[in-house]
Amino acid sequence: MSDHDHDHDHARTVKPMVEEVTDFEVLEIALRELCIEKGLFTAEQHRVMTEFGEQIGPTPAARLVARAWLDPEFRELALREPMEASKKVGVDWLNPTGFGTPSDFYAFKILEDTPTLHHVIVCALCSCYPRPILGNSPEWYRTPNYRRRIVRWPRSVLAEFGLELPEDVEIRVQDSNQKHRFMVMPMRPAGTEGWTEDQLAAIITRDSLIGVALPKPGVTTNVSNKTVPAVRPIVE
Amino acid sequence: MNDNRTDADFAVLEEITQRNQTWPIMAAKYGVENPLPPWKTSLDGFCDALDRSCATPEQLDFSFKARRDEEDELSATHYADLPFPENQLVSLAHSLLARGVIDEVELRRRLDDVRARLES
Repeated sequence: MSDHDHDHDHARTVKPMVEEVTDFEVLEIALRELCIEKGLFTAEQHRVMTEFGEQIGPTPAARLVARAWLDPEFRELALREPMEASKKVGVDWLNPTGFGTPSDFYAFKILEDTPTLHHVIVCALCSCYPRPILGNSPEWYRTPNYRRRIVRWPRSVLAEFGLELPEDVEIRVQDSNQKHRFMVMPMRPAGTEGWTEDQLAAIITRDSLIGVALPKPGVTTNVSNKTVPAVRPIVE
Repeated sequence: MNDNRTDADFAVLEEITQRNQTWPIMAAKYGVENPLPPWKTSLDGFCDALDRSCATPEQLDFSFKARRDEEDELSATHYADLPFPENQLVSLAHSLLARGVIDEVELRRRLDDVRARLES
């Protein structure tokens, strides 16, 4: 143990936290308690669903794509039997955490990009998303703005994310639903020759698996896009 | 969608909205870097539990689709000034109140109880 013969402020070695109780924190607890008391769900159901939400993320999906880039046989498996391939990266779609799925998953498909075809996923109806393998959806994915506009004007909306595709690349927008979930397998970018699976997985971002970005050497973070929630829906 | 549900005003939620203790403001005030409030994962579990196990009588029409549609509409109207996920939470409260699953008096009482507990 150190002798503390130094002048740093020990209080500052702890990360700061919000040191007051907020209305929203109180509201979440109050609503949840009332719903449990009224029998809408149980505290146990809430606990397992919360734990599911806390342990999911995009890492297994990135790992799956990186492995597919390196191993042609695994790539073939991923495209032919995506749920089997998911198991190889630790995701069992039919039983992701040992207590069942939070929604009615029946099918998962991986959409492979080619030099002339680019995929992007959406849920036009609500916000269905491949959560077991990709984690919780980003806020913008839930907004009516993204959901309506990506279907109508995919090229323009992708450009808002900074992804400007040549005119000769077809863009296919894949709509998800409660029974079918999708994920994009982007193409391996140039400049990654000889890379390991770990190196490749680091550049396969969540956004590239949704299809609003392309993997790029040196880029390991998601895009900050300009989309904002629509205040007024478009009236035809 | 039943317009009455999204048209209704609930003073208790309006007051919370007006006080505006939203995460971006609170995080900036205390120098916290987390992009989302700590109650977000509990809210996600709350919504998942509702969608999967909701025992609300069918006539209340509180399916996943109905909940999400109302959240979208309320987030663009009544609660357009709130950021995400505060707008998601308050919209959920609005939907529960509008259906009479909980009433405003009992919600106010429970809010006081929970706050007293957290501040004790």
